[in-house]
Amino acid sequence: MLTIRISFEKRAEAAYISLLDLQRVFHRILKRSGLPVYYTQGFNPHIYLSFNCPLSLGQESICESCEVKTADENADLNAWQDALQPYMPHGIRILHIGPAQRKSTEIQAAEYELTLPPAGLEAVEAYNRSPQVLVEKKTKRGRRELDLKTWLPALQAEPLAGGGCKVTVRLPCAAGEGDNLNPALLLASFAPCGVQPWQCEILRTRLFTADGSEFR
Amino acid sequence: MPTIQELRQALFSVQKPGRYTGGEPGSVLKDKTKVDLRVAFCFPDTYEIGMSFLGEKILYELLNRHENWWCERAFMPWVDMKEQMETLGIPLYCLESKDPLREFDIVGFSLEYELCYTNVLAMLQLSGIPLRAADRDERWPLVIAGGPCVCNGEPMADFFDVMQLGEGEQMLQDICACVEQGKKAGWNRERQLLELAKIPGVYVPAFYDVTYGEDGRIRAVAPNRPGVPARVTKAIVRDMDSFPPPENFVVPIVGTVQDRASVEVLRGCVRGCRFCQAGQIYRPFRERSPELISGCARTLCANTGYDELSLMSLSTSDHSRLEEILDRLNAWAEADHVSLSLPSLRVDNFSQSLVEKTSRVRKSGLTFAAEAGTQRLRDVINKNVTWEQIERGCRIAFSEGYTSVKLYFMMGLPTETMEDIKGIADTAQQVVDLFYTIPERPKGKGVQVTCSVACFVPKPWTPFQFCAQDTRETLREKQKYLLSCVHSRKIKVNYHDSATSVLEGIFAKGDRRLGAVIEQAFRQGSFFDTWEEFFDYDRWLAAFKACGVDPDFYNYRAIDLDETAPWDHMDVGVGRAFLVREYQKALRAQTTPPCNRQCSGCGANKLLGGPCFAYDQDQL
Repeated sequence: MLTIRISFEKRAEAAYISLLDLQRVFHRILKRSGLPVYYTQGFNPHIYLSFNCPLSLGQESICESCEVKTADENADLNAWQDALQPYMPHGIRILHIGPAQRKSTEIQAAEYELTLPPAGLEAVEAYNRSPQVLVEKKTKRGRRELDLKTWLPALQAEPLAGGGCKVTVRLPCAAGEGDNLNPALLLASFAPCGVQPWQCEILRTRLFTADGSEFR
Repeated sequence: MPTIQELRQALFSVQKPGRYTGGEPGSVLKDKTKVDLRVAFCFPDTYEIGMSFLGEKILYELLNRHENWWCERAFMPWVDMKEQMETLGIPLYCLESKDPLREFDIVGFSLEYELCYTNVLAMLQLSGIPLRAADRDERWPLVIAGGPCVCNGEPMADFFDVMQLGEGEQMLQDICACVEQGKKAGWNRERQLLELAKIPGVYVPAFYDVTYGEDGRIRAVAPNRPGVPARVTKAIVRDMDSFPPPENFVVPIVGTVQDRASVEVLRGCVRGCRFCQAGQIYRPFRERSPELISGCARTLCANTGYDELSLMSLSTSDHSRLEEILDRLNAWAEADHVSLSLPSLRVDNFSQSLVEKTSRVRKSGLTFAAEAGTQRLRDVINKNVTWEQIERGCRIAFSEGYTSVKLYFMMGLPTETMEDIKGIADTAQQVVDLFYTIPERPKGKGVQVTCSVACFVPKPWTPFQFCAQDTRETLREKQKYLLSCVHSRKIKVNYHDSATSVLEGIFAKGDRRLGAVIEQAFRQGSFFDTWEEFFDYDRWLAAFKACGVDPDFYNYRAIDLDETAPWDHMDVGVGRAFLVREYQKALRAQTTPPCNRQCSGCGANKLLGGPCFAYDQDQL
């Protein structure tokens, strides 16, 4: 059994597609395509399909992926791309389909490019000056207070031509068990400086494994 | 067009923002500087409901086939989004271009049920378009309506420039062509409307004056412009094969109510159930050919990527060549990974082979519409279904492994007694008992019979249009009595409060004087009336009071057989004489055979210009 990774970008309108809806869309398209994907062997067989580190609603990405399995070791994966792409929602572009080289559980961190409004420059300075930046994280087990400085001691703001700036951050992001930090928490901490979350863009650019190499 | 920033702010705090972004596969994008006519196709309910509606898909494709027209979609935003849009000053926009509705040439609404009327006003207001037609000149979009409610659109007459009676395939294209012509020629609104009124099926409410007698009943409805027809005749597609079903859909990403490929196999209905408006106003019965259905369905599935195909109509099993359709579909469906489903099956011709041809999908539940609990009442409503047929249907279903059956009933039907109400419980009990007599029933499982009991609403253009609706008190009593008749935990009874049915009854048979009431209720905060959590009956009662309109006049009063009804200047095909005849037969509990077996002379065949069926050939 071969694990196949479908890498895609999720941009523009597609940022507002929830994981649940995305799963439904992929399920339908895969089933309809007739590609030799593996079905679970239960009472109601369904396509084995697993998304890695799904994004929050409204965030964009150029490094999303999901996994399916196939028993066909010689599958023509280029043909897969041609079979699936035409039915994808606007903003979902398949980048690559290939045998999975690594396990999704190896994912440890994600890199995000944050585009901030003009007030963002000041927010970044304020962040860098603060000894502590406490944010509240909601989990299934309740609320937890975190210090963002633990992960991001300092931010580097790169000014943009039209005002505003770009900040690149690397945050923990685990596919299974493990730490996860949503970049929205960082943006929320900018609120006192007048930066509203909807004025910012979040683009996930890369995923990394524990050894610091890029996950593909 | 709202800025990305504004839109993002609104989307940030609403549920399911995907409903407001567009970008679905199959949605049509054009260059707005290169089109001559822009149409906003509006559905006055949520995205999930509107995107389930086949009519919009049909017309969206037909209009967008014209290179120089662009038809886009708009839906009623959910409460949270509506609030955001109002706060941020974002006007209602179409999903494709994100341009506000007021920039369009035509803003068209589909009126599928009466309780959506306040949503129409809400959508106009969100667009900044004046609600009343009288307040709009040629600088505003032409606001039009279509859909079954137009068969008596009078309660909404004040708000629409144009209403379309009948089938839109040709009519809407003719309207668009006429508006394009008027736009290029610089016609004023009056001239535009006069030209539009020449199109078959087009009704311009402002061109008719209604006079009332002292008792409040209508004295006459007469055109007030020369050349405007005294009666508007329904537009119809004579040959269903002349308009192939859509070969592409906009495929929603957010889960919708109906999310599958669907093909309309026939239009109209041969049955003539006396409570059913659709069965009358879509007459005559017309079929599509199996070759066309199968071919278009296959293309549709290929274009959309859908893995489920539904055959749509009022009564799919009445297609004279249904088996051939299924054989043709099954010839490719499995290889294309598409499964078939058939809603609207009838118990009386529900066969073993039908179940086999469609049961590749997972077994869930089966639904039978018995409509009434006793044979007498079923004869009254001309639902020509017998207990033997229900039994046969259930027997097949249970033997095939089904363990839950849903039975649809109505209460509040004309001539109904408590005996008939008890009959509902008895029928359900008989189904339960039947289950345990079947040797090949699924083992280790109990049976579940669900009775869904709706409140009957008398509708125009049906033989029961003359009847008064049951009062809420009577319906409550009947509901209570029904529950007392159920003695098994295997039977579940569903019903709902009758307040929405009362309002539905008022609007269905209402006249123009209700426009003021609808506007008043809307201004006082009524919208999403189909949604129980937003429906406020008391607010409606207050609106009637404020406008000095007696609601009971419309739904609790029987209409005289020779009285002028608010909808009598419409002509949907079936004639008054036929409706009276059927009503009188109903009171005698006499049935009328389906019209493919014997013509009952409803009058709708004049729309085709000849008999609907070749009765001399044995078709059945």
